[in-house]
Amino acid sequence: MARDFSINRLPGFASVAILTFFLLYLPIFTLVVFSFNEAASMSRWEGFSLKWYEAAFQNRQVRDVSIRSLWLAATAASFATILATLAALGTTRTSKFKGQTMIYALINQPLMVPEIVTGVALLIFFAAIKVQTGYTGMGYLVAAHTAFCIPFAYLPIRARLETMDNTLEIAAADLYAGPIKTFVHITLPLLLPGIFAGLMLGFVISLDAVVITEFVKSAGQDTLPTYMLGQLRRVVTPEMNAIATLFLLLSVLAVTIFFVLSRKRA
Amino acid sequence: MTATQGIGSPATDKGPAIEIEIRNLSKVFGDGPRAFKALDDIQLDIRQGEFFTLLGPSGCGKTTLLRLIAGFEQPSSGLLQINGKAVAGLGPNRRPVNTVFQNYALFPHMTLAENIGFGLKMLGKSRSEVASTTQEMLKLVKMDAMADRKPAQISGGQQQRIALARALAPRPRVLLLDEPLSALDLKLRKEMQVELKRLQLETGITFVFVTHDQEEALTMSDRIAVISGGQVLQMGTPHEIYNFPAERFVADFIGDTNFIDAEIVQYEGDFAQVRLPGGVVREASLPEGFNARVGETVTVVIRPEHASLTERGDLQATVENAVFFGTDTHIHLRLEDQTPFILRRQNTGVSVAPPEAGQHACIAVAEGGIQVLRS
Ligand SMILES: Nc1ncnc2c1ncn2[C@@H]1O[C@H](COP(=O)(O)OP(=O)(O)OP(=O)(O)O)[C@@H](O)[C@H]1O
Ligand SMILES: [Mg+2]
Repeated sequence: MARDFSINRLPGFASVAILTFFLLYLPIFTLVVFSFNEAASMSRWEGFSLKWYEAAFQNRQVRDVSIRSLWLAATAASFATILATLAALGTTRTSKFKGQTMIYALINQPLMVPEIVTGVALLIFFAAIKVQTGYTGMGYLVAAHTAFCIPFAYLPIRARLETMDNTLEIAAADLYAGPIKTFVHITLPLLLPGIFAGLMLGFVISLDAVVITEFVKSAGQDTLPTYMLGQLRRVVTPEMNAIATLFLLLSVLAVTIFFVLSRKRA
Repeated sequence: MTATQGIGSPATDKGPAIEIEIRNLSKVFGDGPRAFKALDDIQLDIRQGEFFTLLGPSGCGKTTLLRLIAGFEQPSSGLLQINGKAVAGLGPNRRPVNTVFQNYALFPHMTLAENIGFGLKMLGKSRSEVASTTQEMLKLVKMDAMADRKPAQISGGQQQRIALARALAPRPRVLLLDEPLSALDLKLRKEMQVELKRLQLETGITFVFVTHDQEEALTMSDRIAVISGGQVLQMGTPHEIYNFPAERFVADFIGDTNFIDAEIVQYEGDFAQVRLPGGVVREASLPEGFNARVGETVTVVIRPEHASLTERGDLQATVENAVFFGTDTHIHLRLEDQTPFILRRQNTGVSVAPPEAGQHACIAVAEGGIQVLRS
């Protein structure tokens, strides 16, 4: 009988589960613990201290790259969310058209193409533009991150739209609302949790993007992850642990918001 | 209450004014070999202020017809007029028609009051008018105590009332209701039937009501159109539809019926003399426009409650069994030519014993209880 079967009664279930969580969280746990280490060592615990956090906050470079990262993630995620919202509306709130599946696949390009390939392609492509225009600003990073974030923002928005009963929009039309009023009063408010979820996911993805950023950035455009990568090639101090822990905290926060919003029912 | 001109206006010499006029209306879904004709050449006149019901089995096109009237869908061909104006090409937001949806479709992010006021707000009514009409509607459906709740915080029956109030608030000329009671349990359903009827009488708005429940249709409607396979088979008052079904489908769909072969002996106007199995000749009514021929074998219907067991009757039969239902007993018989026949006997006294199986019985049919069917 169905209720007699339960996966957690299988022999070894508990051990496998514990081992999995161990593998998942032990390294991160270690990293977090050693960010509070008094010593400069990564292997010996000498007592609790916040001095590495202090050092990180006083490091001018860390502040700069953090601000750049946050600004880039916010900008790119915003653009990506707007575009993803339009794309989701176009693929769910219109009558079926030829090539719809194709468009769905195309939107998901960044999920299919290996990041390193995209990185190299962008490097070559942007290099050509840089030569032509002489522009070397943040625009390239914003464009690359936006494109990269679109499918991640698209997924929760589309999921939300698909579970949303479109008789609500028909009912609004029946009650004398034209297409724009229907969108403003019905579709948009109901879609909002999906849009915020998309925004959060896009934000985390952009914050996290190392490979693409590494290829696209010009001199002096390091983001937090590329800066950390650069530092780690030299000497490793617990200051990195402190930065990484803060970075982790930010990501966890954004992902939590994403989960809460995408699980919220209409 | 604000009065909408036209509604309930005095009838002209030609009878009550027509609210919705439908001529040769067809709707085809898809194209090429996969085309499907959901509505086939529909003709209907729905009168101002009446409770009009579209009755038919699942998939016959009831919802499609409502969607055409509401403007959610455009007809493939034919004419559709509301209050004398052709509405072809007009979107739902530009028709004086509101819908009560089967699943209610209440806006989940708005309070009940905001739901009800939505239509008026979209029409650009002033804030005070929206507020006062909303109050009035909440009172009308007896929900004024819950104005600030969200739809998820009320029961199905209450959601039903709010959906009604929301559709009535803008004072449409026509209210369309697509099986609005089908999600409710039996008791609530009966209550809402009474409530709907009351609202229709109080507001004077034309109701077009969809159901596949024949009893609901009979008890509530001023007139009924029976639809099957995208066509209107018969239109008339509940009395006409029940007592004078013109087609086998209509007779079968509404109530229990006996179908018996008979021969036309003679006819005049709307009536004919028919010879029943066993040779007795009785008067039967003919359906409208029926082309009768003497000597032709036709099918006649006899309702179970229009027949009774007597000493000397119109039909000879053998009793098969009797089923006791409390208020009445259904007696299953078989005529001499093996045609099954059901007879309903009301249990007016406790001492009446049911007939025994195998017993011979004579069946008498009440005056006017025989109706000829269109082949
Ligand atoms: N958009 C559509 N495309 C193709 N066929 C459709 C479409 N809408 C309805 N139909 C078909 O048209 C027929 C009539 O559908 P409709 O919804 O009007 O039936 P109904 O009488 O309301 O049935 P029910 O009582 O089950 O609600 C059905 O056979 C249905 O499959
Ligand atoms: Mg239907």
